Amino acid sequence: MAIRNLWRSYERGSETVHALAEFDLTVQPGEMVGIVGRSGSGKTTLLNQIGCLDRPTTGQVIIAGTDVTALPERELVAFRRDHIGFIFQLFYLLPTLSVAENVGMPMLFARAHDRERVRAICERVGLADQMTALPGSLDGGDMQRVAIARALVNDPALLLADEPTGRLERQARDEVLDIFDDLRADGLAIVMATHDLEQAARCGRVIELRDGRRLEHAYEDSWPKAHCAT
Amino acid sequence: MSLTRLAIKSLLLRPARTLLTIVSVAASVAVLFSLLSFNSGYQEGLQKQMQQMGVHLMVVPIGCPYEAASLVLEGGEIENYLNESVAEEIAGMEGVAIAAPSLMHAIVRPEDGRTDIYLGVDEKHLELKNWWRLNDGEKPGPGLLSEDDAVLLGWDAALIEKREAIGERIWVPEIESEFSVTGILEPTGTQDDGFFYVPLRTAQEQFGLEGKITAVQVRLTDPSMAAEVADALDARFAGVEIIRMEELLGSMTALMDSARALIFAIVAVVIAISGVGVLNTMLMSVFERTREIGVLRATGAGRLHIFSLVWTETLALTVIGGVTGLGLAAVAARGVEAVIKRFVPMAPQEAMTRFDPHAALICVLAILGVGLVAGIYPSLRAAQIRTIEALRSE
Ligand SMILES: Nc1ncnc2c1ncn2[C@@H]1O[C@H](COP(=O)(O)OP(=O)(O)OP(=O)(O)O)[C@@H](O)[C@H]1O
Ligand SMILES: [Mg+2]
Repeated sequence: MAIRNLWRSYERGSETVHALAEFDLTVQPGEMVGIVGRSGSGKTTLLNQIGCLDRPTTGQVIIAGTDVTALPERELVAFRRDHIGFIFQLFYLLPTLSVAENVGMPMLFARAHDRERVRAICERVGLADQMTALPGSLDGGDMQRVAIARALVNDPALLLADEPTGRLERQARDEVLDIFDDLRADGLAIVMATHDLEQAARCGRVIELRDGRRLEHAYEDSWPKAHCAT
Repeated sequence: MSLTRLAIKSLLLRPARTLLTIVSVAASVAVLFSLLSFNSGYQEGLQKQMQQMGVHLMVVPIGCPYEAASLVLEGGEIENYLNESVAEEIAGMEGVAIAAPSLMHAIVRPEDGRTDIYLGVDEKHLELKNWWRLNDGEKPGPGLLSEDDAVLLGWDAALIEKREAIGERIWVPEIESEFSVTGILEPTGTQDDGFFYVPLRTAQEQFGLEGKITAVQVRLTDPSMAAEVADALDARFAGVEIIRMEELLGSMTALMDSARALIFAIVAVVIAISGVGVLNTMLMSVFERTREIGVLRATGAGRLHIFSLVWTETLALTVIGGVTGLGLAAVAARGVEAVIKRFVPMAPQEAMTRFDPHAALICVLAILGVGLVAGIYPSLRAAQIRTIEALRSE
């Protein structure tokens, strides 16, 4: 996954706000990159660009060799469905559907429903016993597991997580990160936005954003040590 | 899991609103279906009645012809009379096959809630109504009316009188006379079923109307000559009205048509309102579910998926409502019919509203049309929702 000179600007009244400016990033398979920065620094904007939920003002996003910024809408939808998994802070599960149905949702749109795949992915994230439960009856950690399973069901190459643990208790938070470690070991690339420096410490590499720009840190790869020490 | 199932689940999420919408659709379909099937039943019944009559012209004392005709057909009493010689004269005219005189008299018994209509007829009447059958399957012969106290009962009249057997006697206190049942007619599905047929002479004597008749029913050798014969009759007799049955049928239909136009205008409005109701429900639901739609988009749904989802929901609403409405209408048809019969002139005796597959099809198509059209706008709105904004919205 590579991003080249990405800009995303918004018109706010007469002035132009650059939510993202001059941004470059490359992520390898099996790598977990943390995106940190204050509220409003552009983390969500960045993930939306990578995740093909929004189109950049200028610049390129290349995923698995495809320049997604050049894809027409219809192909973009299919590309996102097949190559990218998304996880959000608020889980965004559908309350009327069972765990298995929530997990299978992306397959529904890909017209490739596969019960076995749903079962396997639920087992993988530790939901094997709750497949028929409704999301409302689960605790936050389990809800996020459902969201992770849903993000993974189409076997994406890239997982994007926007503050995935922001709403979770400490233990659930650690469990989610354990799942991420496990996925990364299988070659999945993960980009995770977070406020939490301790969590960032579990990423292989951390990018800090300020006002939409990437801060160059000498210690980018050694963020964990640098920050956990202070 | 399918898109349809997802749509149904979304509808179940707000049961009260879904139910209300379904009820409103059901109500309008029920109205539409009842009117449609009533209409086709009515026309069919009317046609049948007219055909069966085998009566091409009717000569009655002057007065509003339609009033008179419907009095004769629906029962009642006619104030003016014709001389019975008129019938003989008509019989001798060119183009006339049969000219059957009749004298109608009603005996009203408000305490029993019934009006018995006695029709004095002679053998020509039996000849005219050559489709009549007795309940034993035989054709009624002239012998049935040969005795002065004979009474031939129409099917409904026999039911009302609770008479089943030949030879039973009927005492009529109003005229202090007794009649003897000589036969009971099979149902014909027309007004004929309700009458008490007695010999013309007897009727004239008993009701104090010697030499009088109330109508001459005419069968022509060639029905297409009706207009010519009617003109000839008009020229020959003063103080009579000549009613051409085909014309009467025409004006009944015309009357019905204009009533129908009004009814259909109302139905169109009712359907449009339920369509707007559906549209409103779906639009509300789309706005409320903005975030859910964002989630679906983020988990791989394209605009077309969202469009189909909302459209499916709209269709499900209208189809469920429509089928419920059809069911309701079929069940309620009898009651509705009773009401309509009261207000529509010359309503055929038979059941007018039966389950008419043709009408049902029209209803289904109409409601599908409403669903499809009402679904377009909310579905488009839903498809246009932008994912990131939807996810941000509360
Ligand atoms: N649709 C939009 N219109 C105008 N400005 C926007 C829009 N979306 C984002 N922005 C602006 O872009 C900037 C970056 O926002 P973004 O949501 O990416 O920040 P964030 O780092 O994810 O913040 P948080 O930590 O609160 O989630 C903000 O200044 C925000 O106001
Ligand atoms: Mg954010």
